[in-house]
Amino acid sequence: MSAGATHIDHIVISSNDSAATASLFAENLGIEIKRTMSRPGTRAHLEFAKLKEVILEFAGPGEVQPYDEVKAKLWGFVAAVEDIGAAIAAVRAAGFEAEEPHPAIQPGAVFATVKTGTHGVPFAFIEYNVLPVPEGS
Amino acid sequence: MSFKKIDHIGIVVKDLDAALATYDHNLGLKAAPGRGGEVPALGIKNAFVPVGESDLEFIQPLGTEGPVATFAAERGEGTFMLSLEVDDIEAEVERLRGLGARVGNPNNGVAFVSMKSTHGVNLQLVQRNR
Repeated sequence: MSAGATHIDHIVISSNDSAATASLFAENLGIEIKRTMSRPGTRAHLEFAKLKEVILEFAGPGEVQPYDEVKAKLWGFVAAVEDIGAAIAAVRAAGFEAEEPHPAIQPGAVFATVKTGTHGVPFAFIEYNVLPVPEGS
Repeated sequence: MSFKKIDHIGIVVKDLDAALATYDHNLGLKAAPGRGGEVPALGIKNAFVPVGESDLEFIQPLGTEGPVATFAAERGEGTFMLSLEVDDIEAEVERLRGLGARVGNPNNGVAFVSMKSTHGVNLQLVQRNR
């Protein structure tokens, strides 16, 4: 059994000020920020760009704390799969730990983090078109 | 914007063969035959694992010198670098410099953006099909 990853869905760049880092990438590199999201309850401020099929996600705290300098790093990535249940089962069958799939921020999608067996890479699966999408999403 | 796509994510590992076996076994992701190998000039060996239109590049340091070895010593295994494919490396470097980014001179189709221009993210530009 294999996890059957079809492509890299998104890559996460974490920052202590994600708006500032996204703005720097826009100014210095010409990367267009297409979407910004700050949802109450998520305690995160997210900004998104897209390079062909891969989303670049800038993730940081919803409330930016005082800092001396903005610090960002390449964090991890999310692989798209066609069957997240099978993907998680494959990881667990190999003896590693993965969380139960749960609704993702993306409407209709389901998400699960792989917690071990990734050689230090924060890694997760996402499957789209699993859940009903609320009107207006 | 002149970036074509995400070319690859560079991942530093301590044992290349073990990492490839793990990603194959756990995630069904297989190394591309004939790509990668030892790069003595950089003090590394590497392998590429395609995932859709992008790759994962697994990089093992072969010694104690160089940025990959330093990363492995200080942080262990993990995500190291993001690589963006461009059509024309020289033109792209000039474009980014015009935007205010600090970018090294291209060498063999590769250029690095200063981490001072990315808040610390290790960013590479690469031109394929030269």
